[in-house]
Amino acid sequence: MSLTLVEKDVLRLRRVLVELLERSESDGCVVCDSGGYVIAQEGRGTQDPLLISALGAGVFAASRELARILGEDEFSAVFHQGEKKSIFIRAVNREVLLVIIFSNTANVGLVRLYAAPAATEMRVLFDEISAPDRKIEHPEKAFVLTREGDFFRAPGAS
Amino acid sequence: MSFINFANREVQLKIVYYGPGLCGKTTNLQIIHRMIATDAKGNLTSVATSKDRTLFFDFMPLVANALEGYTTRFQMYTVPGQVMYNTTRRLVLRGTDGIVFVADSQWSKMAENVESWANLEENLRLQGDSIDNIPYVLQFNKRDLPDVAPSHYLDFLLNNRGVRRPSFSAVATDGTGVFETLNMVARLVLNRFVKSYARKESKESELVLV
Repeated sequence: MSLTLVEKDVLRLRRVLVELLERSESDGCVVCDSGGYVIAQEGRGTQDPLLISALGAGVFAASRELARILGEDEFSAVFHQGEKKSIFIRAVNREVLLVIIFSNTANVGLVRLYAAPAATEMRVLFDEISAPDRKIEHPEKAFVLTREGDFFRAPGAS
Repeated sequence: MSFINFANREVQLKIVYYGPGLCGKTTNLQIIHRMIATDAKGNLTSVATSKDRTLFFDFMPLVANALEGYTTRFQMYTVPGQVMYNTTRRLVLRGTDGIVFVADSQWSKMAENVESWANLEENLRLQGDSIDNIPYVLQFNKRDLPDVAPSHYLDFLLNNRGVRRPSFSAVATDGTGVFETLNMVARLVLNRFVKSYARKESKESELVLV
């Protein structure tokens, strides 16, 4: 099973994210899945989206375990406050997370406020993306491997 | 669970290094990070304790020219080997596309190897998966140490399911066997990805014909 995005999905996601960043006055955001895959990114402050996704997914998964210990179903959001920058992570659904990065000149209340409708809009999109009967327009008929040999080599190795 | 972005022409795949504590999972990633070309790797990040034991995971992205017309990103993770961090191991295993099981070849570590293997099977089962459905390879590490079990014994002990999987002898500290292991697991994961996608496509065509 794989999560598959086409051009149309990417454009829809981008529209939601750009609007979120403008309204909440945040710097950047990354959408990732609970396994740490980067699904989308927008704005500044997300120079290393792969790492932000891996760690963000890890942090949120850990918070889910904490919630479970406390008898909660889950914490719907996690907030990390720094001196200059902060991070707000919100669950879109069980599998997808929205990570928002903002400087402390922005207001965490605004981020929280606008993250909620953005997450709702994305939930609808991801429900459509993961629907079992979804038809993908213009898909590749097949993926083709580029070579028979090694994909990774250490310099100097034969 | 792989991730395909047709708009950016990118495929992401996740590989997890699993095994008992101090077997050399982090060392594998450190050696790959040290030896591989700069344009093929991202930063290696370790969430470790003050004593350099993995607390959460190690993470390193790799890029390969593996699928025609697509950027293929491998997300490489290790799990914390210490028994007490099982919850974290489960979290890191989520959605993995391939596994490298690193075993410590020393006789004194056999029980830990077997326990870690059983723990891997159990954690996959808990997330509704099975080791038989996931591409994996075994790496018998620390072959340079004096008191090690022969490779065929480790195969007998850990690689004893219906279909024998590839296994490699390694000395991760000097790089021996590290890239052989990496390339084999990458190939298995990619073959599986290409096949499963082709199968899905053919199923969809059948549906259209009906």
